[in-house]
Parts: sequence; structure tokens; C-alpha cells
Amino acid sequence: MRNWLKIVIFLSICLPLSGTADEKSGDHSKYVRHVEQGFSAIFRGDNQTAISEFETALAIEPDHSEILHYLGMAYAQEQFWNKAADSYQRSLALMPDNIEALYSLGVVYFKLDKWADAVPVLEQVVELSPHHARGQEMLGKTLLKLRRYGDAAPALMEALTLKPQAAGTYQELGTAYLNLKEYTKAIENFQKALAFGPGRYAEPHYGLGMAYLRLGDREKSRAEMQIYQQLQKEFAEYERLARLTRAEPNNLEAWSGLASLLMSQKNYPEAVQVFQRCIELAPNNANFHHGLSRTFMALNYPKHAAEAAEKAVQLMPDQSILYNTLGSAYAMQGKRREALVTFQKAIELDSEQPYYHLNVSKLYQSFGNQKLAQEHYRAYEHLLSEQKAKQK
Amino acid sequence: MNTFYPNRKRNRNSYFSLIAKYLMLLLFPGIAVFAQDAENMIFVSAGTFTMGSDNRAADERPMHKVYLGAYYIGKYEVTNAEYYEFWKQQAAAAAEMQQHTPENFTHIPQIGNWPERAKQFPDHPVVGVSWHDANAYAAWKGMRLPTEAEWEKAARGYTDRIWPWGNAIEPYANTAADNDGYKNGLAPVGSFPKGKSYYGVMDMAGNVWEWTADWYSDVYYWHTSQVFTKRPKRNPTGPVVGSWRVIRGGSWVDKISRCSTTFRFYLYPNLKTSFVGFRLAKTAEKTSK
Repeated sequence: MRNWLKIVIFLSICLPLSGTADEKSGDHSKYVRHVEQGFSAIFRGDNQTAISEFETALAIEPDHSEILHYLGMAYAQEQFWNKAADSYQRSLALMPDNIEALYSLGVVYFKLDKWADAVPVLEQVVELSPHHARGQEMLGKTLLKLRRYGDAAPALMEALTLKPQAAGTYQELGTAYLNLKEYTKAIENFQKALAFGPGRYAEPHYGLGMAYLRLGDREKSRAEMQIYQQLQKEFAEYERLARLTRAEPNNLEAWSGLASLLMSQKNYPEAVQVFQRCIELAPNNANFHHGLSRTFMALNYPKHAAEAAEKAVQLMPDQSILYNTLGSAYAMQGKRREALVTFQKAIELDSEQPYYHLNVSKLYQSFGNQKLAQEHYRAYEHLLSEQKAKQK
Repeated sequence: MNTFYPNRKRNRNSYFSLIAKYLMLLLFPGIAVFAQDAENMIFVSAGTFTMGSDNRAADERPMHKVYLGAYYIGKYEVTNAEYYEFWKQQAAAAAEMQQHTPENFTHIPQIGNWPERAKQFPDHPVVGVSWHDANAYAAWKGMRLPTEAEWEKAARGYTDRIWPWGNAIEPYANTAADNDGYKNGLAPVGSFPKGKSYYGVMDMAGNVWEWTADWYSDVYYWHTSQVFTKRPKRNPTGPVVGSWRVIRGGSWVDKISRCSTTFRFYLYPNLKTSFVGFRLAKTAEKTSK
């Protein structure tokens, strides 16, 4: 009887314990699954799923500093700044010296315009990791916002020492010097911003305009301001058209306008996508196929360029310019015979275009036929001078 | 005489092979001398190679020269069976064993739970191991993790190959694509012989990301490039501090674009995931006679 009692007591103690252990291991499996699915979602760029998976994982096991940081990063990607800040703070409570979590928190404070809060956090980043270029740059940017130009300049210079071709940092350093009335240094940095920056980078021109003005060089200042205004106008037009295409995805006029603008800006990678959208909306419009062909050529994809030009020619077989483009695509591919026949077709349709003759001349030269090469070159020169005379 | 080979007993043939290799090094200093020891370690000769890329991700810039001394790198990623031996030997110290136990992936039957999966899939790369686990295993084997530079040199060789096998997209790696024969899971190591690198190292693209020894920094290449130093950086070992360790090579959950020889990624060293494993490296001894 006493043995039975012992067994009952033993079981009553052990069974609930073993159940808890199983539950724990089952819960941990769930945690692992949600974390893995969160990573998977991040790799796919699906931040909303990542947020949901990481939140679920952290509801099971809340004390994972790393996963809290990833959660914050997913929130930041979705621009939920307050949620991101909260996740980073929770992460840092568990791992206070985590450089990347500190940096992320600094960035979120910057985005929330909490510049005074961002400064000590970013200072901690660069103290823990003096080679943290992003930390140095973000610190400099934040100090600029606080109008602490004298403090911003050394942080930005340090960032440039670590990452010497960062156009945005040169722009910020230029701004710091402009406000410190060190105009020569400001000019030097704005020029570097232009040298390393993307094409049609407007802001450095404004900075240069202001710096030249302060130095009393009105002519240079005016020239820079004009470029700035022109680029701003282009940017505004780009924004308008991009907004319109987002609001009205079937507005062909907006897509077509955007394509022309991108071509004029030589933004070929984006132009490809826009021309492709135009073709989706108007598959029988030869001009869009032609535009796509020219874009592919600019990007040095002659095979794709030829395919698009062939389609354009198919749709409008009596347009000489389309044959000229197709011929150029063939020539780029090294298909000289096809190119020659196609350029000749262009001349057949319009013999008054000087550049068609120039293209044929170059091809004959590559075949070693000097006589015909010279003949077409003379035609090119003659037609070009006639065109110039007419323009005058 | 200085040699770059481990000190070991040599018979006449091995002396002959050594002389041949030495001559190869003298005549073609940029060309690899392929060698492999019993541990499936591949020899990578000393020399300068090009690291990074100017036209891919921002953290791969700038393309720059790096000098590395001779080293060995694992021909394959460390497998479940190999890691099991280490794990088993830790059994004496229970706490240690707990520390280096790989994570379970109950929800991915193709990977499964530890230690069952060591028997079920002995040739699969070990996953669910943290950077610390990988390091402990390497130390136990008397080796170490490769540095980021060593990893990249072993993957791309002296050429600018986008993937270890060349520049064309081929199904020579276990990625997220469905055309490589391994859907939603790992492949046994060495399943893609056509995907081997210039040095003959296998699976440097796909299957699992691989822990390297270095901390991650997006500007470290600027720091080691010739912008700052006139000569190529010698044996770089990464920044001195950081939050993330560099992982390389892409995995079964990634697109092929993330499996390139130059693509850099990072992960917290404590994390144990189903897509990160590792391979070993060791410095080739310089012995003098």
C-alpha cells in the first residue's frame, strides 16, 4: 500500500514536469519555424510576412536580441519608424553594445526627426566601432540638422576617409562648409559630389551656386543655379509622370511621356521597363518597339535591340529610321551582311538622310570596298552640308 | 630551402611531386598548384588575387588586389557525419555538448532533427550551427574558419568568375531554383561536380551559406584597397569589431544572383539557421630545412 502511494506521489510530480518539457521543446520548434520563415520572407523582400513571423516567434521566446533587431529592420523597411524604434530598444536592452542595433536606432531617430536623441546613440556607434562609415555619416547628417556645422564637418570627413567615393557625404560636407563660410572648401566638396554622384544630381549645383555667390562670382553662381533649376524641373516632371502612372496604370500618354523623359535623361535601365509597359498597353505601336530597341542599344544589348527593331519594322515597314536602327543593332552583333542590306533599305526609303550613308560607308570600309565606302562618304558629307545650310 | 607545404615524411615520389610543384610555382606564380590531402583539403598557393567587384553590390566595391599566403581550404562543406564525431566527443562534458548541438528543424523534414539527421543524411552539410559552433569544431580539428578573402580566392581563383564555374547561369548549384534537382532542401556535399571552382573546391555557390572568420563591414574593402595602401593588403582578417560575421556563397533558399563569388552577406554569430554551414581552412606551414 505504501509503495502504491509512493508511485502515485512520484507520478503526480513527474508527469506535469515531463509535460512542461515537451511543451517547451514543442514551443521552441515553433519559434525556430517562425524565425526561419521570417528570414525566408526577408530574402524574398516580403517585409510584412517577416514582421508577422518574427512577432510570432518573439511571442514564444521574447528574449532574442538578434531577432528583435531583424524585426526592427523589417519594420524600418516598411517605414513603421515607431515600431522599429521599439524593437531596436528591446534588442538593445538585451545586448546594449550591439553596434548595428545602435546604428539602426540612430537612423530611426533621425527619420523621426528626433535628432537630439540620435546624436548620443550614433556617438556610441562610432566610439565602439571607429571604422563604422555609416555611423560617422549619419552622425554628421544629424549634426547638420541640429545646425552644429563645426561638429558635423569632422564626422563627415571621417566618413569620407572610410568611404572615399560617397557623393552624398561630399554634398553634406559641402553644406557644412557653406554654413561655416568656408566657401572654397564647400566648392571643392560640391564638385566631388558631382564627380562621384549619379547623373543629373541637382543639389550640388545649388550648393555651388550659393558658394560662388558668397564669393562674389555672380556669373558662375547664375550658371549653376540655372542647371539646378533645370534639373529640378526635370525631376518635378519625372515625379508628376511617375505619380500619374502609379495612379492610372493604363494611362498610355503618361507612360509614353515618362519614356521620352527617361531617354532624354539617359536613364536607360528605367527606360527599358517603361517602354516594356508601353508595349504591353499598345503592342502594335512601332514607336515603342523602336524606343525599346534604342534603349537596349544604349545598354549594349544588341541581340535584344535587334529583336525589338525587327518587331518595329514588321509593324511599320516603310519607316527608314527603323531600318537604320535595326541595321545598327545587326552591326553591333557583328552581322555585317545583314546590317548592310538593312542600311541600304533605309537609304532606299529615304536617300536624303546623311547618317544612313555614313553607316553604309563604314560597312563597305570594313568589307575593304574602298570605292563604295568613299562614294557613300561623299554622299554623307554633301547631305550634311545641305542640311546645315537649310538650318541656317 | 623554404617550402609552402606541411612538414611530413616524404618518399621519393613525394619529393618528385614537390619539386614539380615548386617548379610550377616558379614558372607560373599566378597559377594554382592543385593538391589535396587526406582530409579533403585543397591547397591554394600564395599569391595576389582580385577581390570584390566594381559593378555589383555597393559593399563589394572597390575591386582591389589582395595578397594571401598559401593555405588549405576544405574541398567540401563540413558534413553531418563529420560534425557528429565532434558532437559525440563532447558528450563527456554535458554543458559543452549542449552548447554545440545543432538546431532542430522539425518543420523541414528534408533537414530534420539532430542527431537523427546525422545518420539519415550523413553527407549533407551540417546546418543549424552558430559561428561559435563552427569555430569550436574547426579548433577541435586543429584548423580554423577561412577568412573572407581566403573564401573568395578559393571560389573565384585568379579570374573574375561570377560563379565558381564561370559567368553563365547554369544549374550547377543547389539554389532556390527548381531546376537543380534539389527542391526545398539540402544536397549532399559534392553533388555538383560541374560547379567546382578554379581550384576544384565544391559547392562554393548554393547549398549552404558558409561562416567565415571575419566581422562584416560594408566599407572594409575601401580600407584594404590601394586607395589607402600602395601595395596589395596582405592576409586581411576583417575589421576588429562588429556585430555580424560574414557569410558567403548563398544557399538553397537563395536566388542564383546571391550565390556569386563576390556577394557578401552577414548574420549574427549566435544564430543557428537551416541555410548556414561552414567549411574549414588552415594556413600552409612554411617550413625550412
